[in-house]
Amino acid sequence: MNGIEQALTTGIEGGTVILFPALGELIGERSGVVNLGTEGCMLAGALGAYAVGATTGSAWIGVLGGLAAGAVLGLAHAWMVVRRRADQLASGLVLWFLAVGITSVLGTSFVSRTVAPLPVVRLPGLGSIPWLGTILFDHDPLVYVSYALVPVVWWVLFRTRVGLVLRATGERPEVVAVAGRRPDLVQLAAVTLGGALGGLGGAQLSVGYVDNWFDNMTNGYGFIAVAVVLFAAWRPLWVLVGSYMFGVALAAASVLQAHNISVNQYLLDSLPYLVTLVALIVFARRGGARTPEGLARALNNTT
Amino acid sequence: MSQTAPIGEPPRATGESAASFAARLAARIDPADVTRRLTSASGWRRLLVALGAYAACLALFSFVVWTQGASPTGVYSSIYHSAITDPGSIAQIFERAVPFVLAALAVTVPARAGLVNVGGEGQLIIGAIAATWVALYLVGPGVPAPLALVLMGVGAMMAGALWAGLAAFLRVTMNANEAVTTLLMNFVANDILLYLLYQPWKDPTGTGQPESMPFGANATLPQVFGNLGVVVALAVAAIVVLVLTKTGWGFALRVVGGNQEAARRAGLPVKRLLVSSMAAGGSLAGLGGMLYLAGTQTQLLPGATATFGYTAFLASFLGRNQPVKVIFAAILFAAIAISAPGLQLVYGLDGNVVDILLALVVVAPLALSGSRRSAY
Repeated sequence: MNGIEQALTTGIEGGTVILFPALGELIGERSGVVNLGTEGCMLAGALGAYAVGATTGSAWIGVLGGLAAGAVLGLAHAWMVVRRRADQLASGLVLWFLAVGITSVLGTSFVSRTVAPLPVVRLPGLGSIPWLGTILFDHDPLVYVSYALVPVVWWVLFRTRVGLVLRATGERPEVVAVAGRRPDLVQLAAVTLGGALGGLGGAQLSVGYVDNWFDNMTNGYGFIAVAVVLFAAWRPLWVLVGSYMFGVALAAASVLQAHNISVNQYLLDSLPYLVTLVALIVFARRGGARTPEGLARALNNTT
Repeated sequence: MSQTAPIGEPPRATGESAASFAARLAARIDPADVTRRLTSASGWRRLLVALGAYAACLALFSFVVWTQGASPTGVYSSIYHSAITDPGSIAQIFERAVPFVLAALAVTVPARAGLVNVGGEGQLIIGAIAATWVALYLVGPGVPAPLALVLMGVGAMMAGALWAGLAAFLRVTMNANEAVTTLLMNFVANDILLYLLYQPWKDPTGTGQPESMPFGANATLPQVFGNLGVVVALAVAAIVVLVLTKTGWGFALRVVGGNQEAARRAGLPVKRLLVSSMAAGGSLAGLGGMLYLAGTQTQLLPGATATFGYTAFLASFLGRNQPVKVIFAAILFAAIAISAPGLQLVYGLDGNVVDILLALVVVAPLALSGSRRSAY
């Protein structure tokens, strides 16, 4: 396996860690709510999955635990923002902070525990395609779930009535209300679902990608997911591209080291953040006009 | 020309006694209206939500502590002791309040103009890095202490201003959301810090730990009034309050924060104000990083400012971006935060346990902060 192939394979695996939360954040933001607490949802999901996995002995039940932990935090954010009209950015950050504290306290007892990670399944047929088969179809099953999730999210958002109501809520909630729907319930559901997907990303991180739990292990990936959604201009396919770009940047660090190309590890560690920042800067101007109106009010602090 | 009565109050007739005027006013009050307001669903609900939120927060914290085998009441009394009754704690609280107050004001200044600065963490780190560079590589041991310290402070403020100003510049030119860019830049700043400490700035004579060489005596804050950094930080905080509330620049920031379009039409240089507010905030955080470094640590360490910047963001939120309230909120947070080592030592709790408490202090006000009105 050469360096590029390895970087891409690991890049897909690591990109999935961002892809789930980014899709969740996309759903939430399309409904008009930004959740900086995505980072917290991921962290809660990572510990939830690892703790439940270690206790039950099954990484799959652990994944459910991760989903649930993320959903709880997502629901808390949704309640604060939708029901209590709290500041969206502040609420997200507070919940992230809460998650950092709670996970590092509750997580101490799981630091040295082991969980049998999600199995790597090489898909029959597709997996034997030369080169691409290894890169795309030789992963843990959650990666395949994410492949399916991208078109599903796109289809629901842009081709169904549910998606129409969701997007309308993100633009003009009062119009949705006049049409006889409940925009508040739409947002509650969307943000909770987004939190659950954040938790799923955390689960992919702890029981899939690195197979370990340590303090603050998400290391800002949730914030990167939020940035990915911004520069993808709220389009699922571009979220996929952005996530994998991040994943490759993340993988590049370890691959370069394995090939004895000596660059300082910490400079390499900053690569994913720099790549995301540059993408954000380059695409932000273009994406501006696509911002859902309700979301723009929250982001620009004008309510 | 007699003065016109304020709108909504019946004018006091000439020669009418104060008592009769008061009685006339009282007669206008509809008792039914008062009862309705006091017992209105929203009034009670607000109170219930407030009490419920605080109770839930305390319960959650107690639960987390309890799962770790520590007694919740013991933990609460330990925090109370270290924050209030321990005589040695005042100095410690104010020492910690130095970075908290300055990083919290770093959030508040741009927030007045409507910008969200979540980059206090990175700005503290960059300030500390710049101060270290000045202390170890620019001024020699022969430079007198006042000059060396001033140079360190100026360097830290410039570095912080550039680091934060960059995010604001990207916002006004490229429309890159500043909340997200400042957040991501925190992680970059931390990686720069680790790079410097693991390679070029690593103390060759040290214990092998990633840390810089210790500062010389001329680059260390003298211990006058406890710690000179505290005095400087409080003085700077006072200046910030004055600048925000009494100067044209401070007023212009509020106009921009209130309505950017109106500010633009009134001829205010909106973009310049936005960038300058963020740069000013960054310079405050940078100074905070320098003061904490030169006053408390006296050498650059990894994770030195661990989560101080984020804690400061919460403090700024708790103070509702009113500078005086923000300063008090930051000191309150410092009082809570310094109980962490004790909790670690006595109860074996993870040091981050106080983060839970800090977040919970903010959750309840947050749940009450929004406007009661709802469009739908």
